[in-house]
Amino acid sequence: MTKPSNDTPRDEPPPPELGDLSARLKDLSGRIAAEQSEQAESTKPSASMQGASGFAKGYRLASEFVAGTLVGGLIGYGIDWLFGTLPFGLIFFLLLGFGAGILNMARAGNRAPLAQERLDSNPPPKAALDDDDED
Amino acid sequence: MANDPIHQFQIKELAGPFHIGGYEIAFTNSALFMGIAVATVTTILLVAAARGALVPGRLQSVGELWYEFIHNMVKNVLGPEGKPFFPLVFSLFSFVLVANMLGMFPYFFTVTSHVIVTASLAVFVVALVVVVGIAKHGLGWFKLFVPHGVPAVILPFISLIEIISFLSRPVSLGLRLFGNMLAGHIVLKVFAGFVVSLGALGFGGILGAVAPLAMAVALTALEFLVAFLQAFVFAILTCVYLNDALHTHH
Repeated sequence: MTKPSNDTPRDEPPPPELGDLSARLKDLSGRIAAEQSEQAESTKPSASMQGASGFAKGYRLASEFVAGTLVGGLIGYGIDWLFGTLPFGLIFFLLLGFGAGILNMARAGNRAPLAQERLDSNPPPKAALDDDDED
Repeated sequence: MANDPIHQFQIKELAGPFHIGGYEIAFTNSALFMGIAVATVTTILLVAAARGALVPGRLQSVGELWYEFIHNMVKNVLGPEGKPFFPLVFSLFSFVLVANMLGMFPYFFTVTSHVIVTASLAVFVVALVVVVGIAKHGLGWFKLFVPHGVPAVILPFISLIEIISFLSRPVSLGLRLFGNMLAGHIVLKVFAGFVVSLGALGFGGILGAVAPLAMAVALTALEFLVAFLQAFVFAILTCVYLNDALHTHH
């Protein structure tokens, strides 16, 4: 009983199985390609990373502004200390530092989406775009 | 001493000062924990990569996740030209992350809560940006500070602002990491101190100590988030700054 039942599938299927195999192989490679592109898409903008980078961006904006003002003030104070013109250098460079802090913040705000957009395009045109923004 | 929130940041000399080249150099607890951080990173990654199984185990998964996280970050921000900088960014991220995480253990020293450590890392990154920019674009890289298309009257002011903006990079990079770690640990210590001093008041005090205890537990969770986040921010800003050096066309 078992032998004939084993033989019949062995005898009959081979021609269809061979055709099946190549068809299934094609099907499988197609599915693998689809899966891979799907996986690539799902790994690109990781949800947890985006949530974290929102929090990180807040920290970043605040410290960029403080750093700009601080560096401007320090440069002004240093120039005053060198030339003995106490209030004026400090006033002038503190204002410039304030401007630099605002510039830093504006750039940090603009750059974050740019870095995200770079995911699906090649960098050189993006860099040129970034450059245009700066000028 | 137990309630002093600054005490945990004290530098202690573990092996007496050695006189090397006219300088007094001592092996401190800070140096010890820097060594521990490097050893921890090396051990974890070596053990994770040792098996190389097709289906990764738990530790290997962590290693692969760690590697791919930074690899994707470098690839996305810097593009294909950023490949040579991957080891640097990976090392910076790993060192800062593990140093921050080690600091979360009780009685451990937090290396990144000292401004000299974070500022050294930040100055190194920005100096590298300058070197890479000049190597890549020659002296024309300094045109970065002289934007074109700006009226001549305000050009000197804009240039000064650009220079200050560039100089503020190492400051913000270093101060952010230092400030977050220092402030977080002080706040944790202060709330934990409330629990101890309220608990010493008797039964009513113990009841009252529940609130700061809950706060300390919540802050501990927040500190773990901040420890990871600051390492992430440090790494991604390194990438962003290097991107400026690599892709400036004038």
